[in-house]
Amino acid sequence: MALLERHEWYDIARSTNWTPKYVTDEELFPDVMSGAKGVAAEKWEVYDEPYKTSYPEYVRIQREKDAGAYSVKAALERSRIFEDADPGWRSILKAHYGAIAVGEYAAMSAEARMTRFGRAPGMRNMATFGLMDENRHAQLQLYFPHEYVSKDRQFDWAHKAYHTNEWAAIAARHTFDDLFLARSATDIAVMLTFAFETGFTNMQFLGLAADAAETGDFTFSSLISSIQTDESRHAQIGGPALQVLIANGRKAEAQKLVDVAIARAWRIFGVLTGPSMDYNTPLEHRKQSFKEFMQEWIVGQFERSLIDLGLDLPWYWDKMIAEFDYQHHAYQMGLWFWRPTLWWNPAAGVTPECREWLEEKYPGWNASFGQAWDVIIDNLANGRPELTGPETLPIVCNMSQLPICAIPGDGWNVKDYPLEYQGRLYHFNSEIDRWIFEQDPSRYRDHMTLVDRFLAGKIQPPDLMGALMYMNLQPGEMGDDAHGYKWMEAYAKPKAAE
Amino acid sequence: MALFPIVSNFERDFVLQLVPVDTENTMDEVAAAAAHHSVGRRVRPQPDKVVRVRRQGASDFFPRQSKLSETDIKPMETLEFIFADA
Repeated sequence: MALLERHEWYDIARSTNWTPKYVTDEELFPDVMSGAKGVAAEKWEVYDEPYKTSYPEYVRIQREKDAGAYSVKAALERSRIFEDADPGWRSILKAHYGAIAVGEYAAMSAEARMTRFGRAPGMRNMATFGLMDENRHAQLQLYFPHEYVSKDRQFDWAHKAYHTNEWAAIAARHTFDDLFLARSATDIAVMLTFAFETGFTNMQFLGLAADAAETGDFTFSSLISSIQTDESRHAQIGGPALQVLIANGRKAEAQKLVDVAIARAWRIFGVLTGPSMDYNTPLEHRKQSFKEFMQEWIVGQFERSLIDLGLDLPWYWDKMIAEFDYQHHAYQMGLWFWRPTLWWNPAAGVTPECREWLEEKYPGWNASFGQAWDVIIDNLANGRPELTGPETLPIVCNMSQLPICAIPGDGWNVKDYPLEYQGRLYHFNSEIDRWIFEQDPSRYRDHMTLVDRFLAGKIQPPDLMGALMYMNLQPGEMGDDAHGYKWMEAYAKPKAAE
Repeated sequence: MALFPIVSNFERDFVLQLVPVDTENTMDEVAAAAAHHSVGRRVRPQPDKVVRVRRQGASDFFPRQSKLSETDIKPMETLEFIFADA
């Protein structure tokens, strides 16, 4: 008997709604878990996923993808790409694997919630594949860098980063817990798959794949391109969910979820991808600036997706676009200055040639960030390295958990956005971060930032060494300049010649 | 005398920082404590100027000799540290 074509059986096979007899519908799909927002079950049945696949098709394609990624890794295992790569590139790998790999399990858990509690049969079907995707991503990104563990202790540390109180790990957990783990199935469809994945993972996975190929790291390039093909499929879970919400009078609720998720994603990518692209990737291998990438993917493409679905641009859209000019430069300065608190070695990325590139891509960089770097360079050139490191903690934002920072030098615009709530004083990086808190204060109010923990006496001794011990960073693991300050030669030479 | 944490937003620096001071410190001493973490690290010294203290967004500075305990500044309040003519 000939097999039916997929389209001949698919709609029937995924019609998995039924009328429960032993429990009520509300018990089977509690709103806190499904997040249906009062939209009745039958209304969700029109949900139509744009990408359809069957289990045998999924397995066949995934097997091919895995074979491709693993064979590139095997073929290049004896190459010297790792040893020969620029140290800035190795730092990108450490930051990426530490911040992302275990977080993929959080995404898997989120997909599992849609698999069980998604109100639409199509959503549950797509999410089943999505959870297998995310499991694959976690395992790949834990396994692939494992070969580096014996070569560099920071790669070993990256494996445990997500389980520590290191500040960047706290920031990643706070964001991912908010968007992926502690949300209902519908909210996850909107926040994780639509906002985070459609909007932002392209940057980390396509942008870095291009830079990796340029750098000659074909293992990493093929790995993250392979991951991105999964992402672009399951990211499509969110679009039809939004259509159902909007068609049933829930646009305001949907819009708020999108607005919160985009703002939170922007911060994480700003600190992770921004410095990677504009500072850690060697100058000769940069394809685009981070700002150009943001403009192409977020303003150009994602903005259109929002409008096409019938959503509005988030209220803060222009403010966020204005941040493309400076926020990641400020994060970069914080990463480098507080470098002992990292599990990777940040590249300064401020040689005279780099600064020319930065000035071209970000006019005014030298008069703002450049002035602060000038003081650092001066200290390094004149034997005062102790002044190029921290003696206190930066104030971190009660939403992003990242330092509150902006433009130094000319155009100084650093500002706190405080909020007093139930007798506690909170600090935010921007109006946007504060707005997120105000949407649901009880969700966020009890979290303690690293600075809150310090002030509460949880970090002992109460100094930088105590903070490093709290983060579990030992000598040999804590970050230092990626190039061992060799880039300073460009500044020392003209001085010596004077 | 009591330890008193404030948030420093120092003119021309890029980041807010935690600065522990004492309730008996004068505003000049508070400014010096904040300067320790910014000036000469990421902010060029301006030897012909003094650093004055004000609330974020305020136009008036606190008097240079007034003690922290004499003001209504709250713990962890964000203060701006501004280069001004002596």
